[in-house]
Amino acid sequence: MNQSLNVTPAMPTDALPAIAPSLCVEHLCLQLAGRDILSDISFTLPETGIISLVGPSGAGKSTLLRCLNRLHEQWQGSITLADQNIQHDDADALRRKIGLIGQKPAVFPCSIGDNLVFGLNRQQRKQTTSAQIQTALMQAALWTEVEQRLHEPAAHLSLGQQQRLCLARALILKPSILLLDEPTSALDPRSRDIIEQSMLSLSQSMPLLWVSHDLEQAQRISSHIIFICDGKLIEQADADSFFRHPKRIESREFLRWSVCDC
Amino acid sequence: MMPFLKPSLYLSAALTLVIVLAVPVFLLQSSAPFWATYGISTIAATEWFPYEQLYGMLPAIIGSTWAIVIALSIAIPCAIAAAIMANEMMSASMASATRLGMEVLAAIPSIVYGLIGLWVLLPLLQHSFDLLSGHSLLAAGLILALMILPMITLMSMDALKQVSAEQRQAGLSLGLNWEALLFRISLPQAWPGIRSGILLALGRALGETMAVMLVVGSLDRMPQPITNILQPAQTLTSRIGREIGEAAFGSEHFSALMACGLLLALMGLSISLFAHVRGLNK
Repeated sequence: MNQSLNVTPAMPTDALPAIAPSLCVEHLCLQLAGRDILSDISFTLPETGIISLVGPSGAGKSTLLRCLNRLHEQWQGSITLADQNIQHDDADALRRKIGLIGQKPAVFPCSIGDNLVFGLNRQQRKQTTSAQIQTALMQAALWTEVEQRLHEPAAHLSLGQQQRLCLARALILKPSILLLDEPTSALDPRSRDIIEQSMLSLSQSMPLLWVSHDLEQAQRISSHIIFICDGKLIEQADADSFFRHPKRIESREFLRWSVCDC
Repeated sequence: MMPFLKPSLYLSAALTLVIVLAVPVFLLQSSAPFWATYGISTIAATEWFPYEQLYGMLPAIIGSTWAIVIALSIAIPCAIAAAIMANEMMSASMASATRLGMEVLAAIPSIVYGLIGLWVLLPLLQHSFDLLSGHSLLAAGLILALMILPMITLMSMDALKQVSAEQRQAGLSLGLNWEALLFRISLPQAWPGIRSGILLALGRALGETMAVMLVVGSLDRMPQPITNILQPAQTLTSRIGREIGEAAFGSEHFSALMACGLLLALMGLSISLFAHVRGLNK
């Protein structure tokens, strides 16, 4: 158990030069208010693909994401990105390398264009070209919808478009890894499909760690699965193996009833 | 179920409207004899000697304006800084203690602030600036600042607390540091609430009488030069407060003081209208 995943890209990456530095988590433990939230979590993310983090509510999935980009700091163990301990890095710089998208789209009260460059510093904003803006918006499958509306308030966009704007806003920072905390759970099926497609394209060049409660979605998009329950990593495997032949009884219970008795 | 509920609500709303309309009507009616005799030009006159029928209002208008400007210049930055400190840096218990302290300060009657001003502030200013007495526009401004500080701080704390947690997390996830988070997310979003606190405080500062009366010096003359805030002076409220007891009801002096009251009400109304037109009160 708890062995690192084999690196198997979900889609061919020949045309994509960037290879993301791998994220390695070893013996991660987190206690909050004297309670074990995460216990001895270890895994290594593949360099590309969508890795779905599944488990029942309260298993610690979102908390794990928050540890990975240091929104939680009190954990023990080791998290390394490209062999560098992330605790040795500046937290703000790290968060640019490890983007996090939340469940609800959080657009800022300014224009679409300003939202897009919100994470850049003043100098970077000045140097940002329209090509970079276009690339980020295209990666998030939003370009055609907002091409002529960059000066409009972001709040005028639909929820699905706002979530894609949040994605583009994270992507313009050129992160190595993207963490997605149920990014489609608040969206309509069409918006969900658009985001899934754009993330599948993006996953050819970088790993996406995607928290999902929707097992059908996880099966549809994932190259790998990490199953955690009650703060413990129960099973990790490539998506086909996990859904067809889960090794652990807890995994089988979870796949059948969406709950598990850990 | 409750047959009297709707009529009671209508009655309350109508009563509020009547009171709102009654105040300016009363002020206009009681000051009408004064305006009829001396005209609007008396607003720009600089001499106020009621016993010689001189009713120049400019010194008190300048005094009120200075007192408010000084009070707001000090209170706004201090209150916003205190609110940021309480919301962003302090532990929950410390922030709660700060809030309690501010609520206590807000509940202190204005006469007590005036006494504190007499006892502490005036000697301090007298020695610091080598003045004959500490009575001055600066003293009035400082006391007003102290009085409006809790109101702006409490409203700013509430406004900062309302900033969406999702947006703060989104900002953090984008690698924004603490300062960027504060200036680019928290303060812009909290600004409407902070602004409301400032407008309410401005209204209180404009109408404050007792504390100002005790420290301003009540000297009816223009500051020389106009920027000299270390001289004793007069404000519209302190003039009304000091002289209304001496003016016979219905006399010209009484009517002149009512005209001062009308000017105060108009200043308050102008601020509210300006805020409304510019959308500042939203």
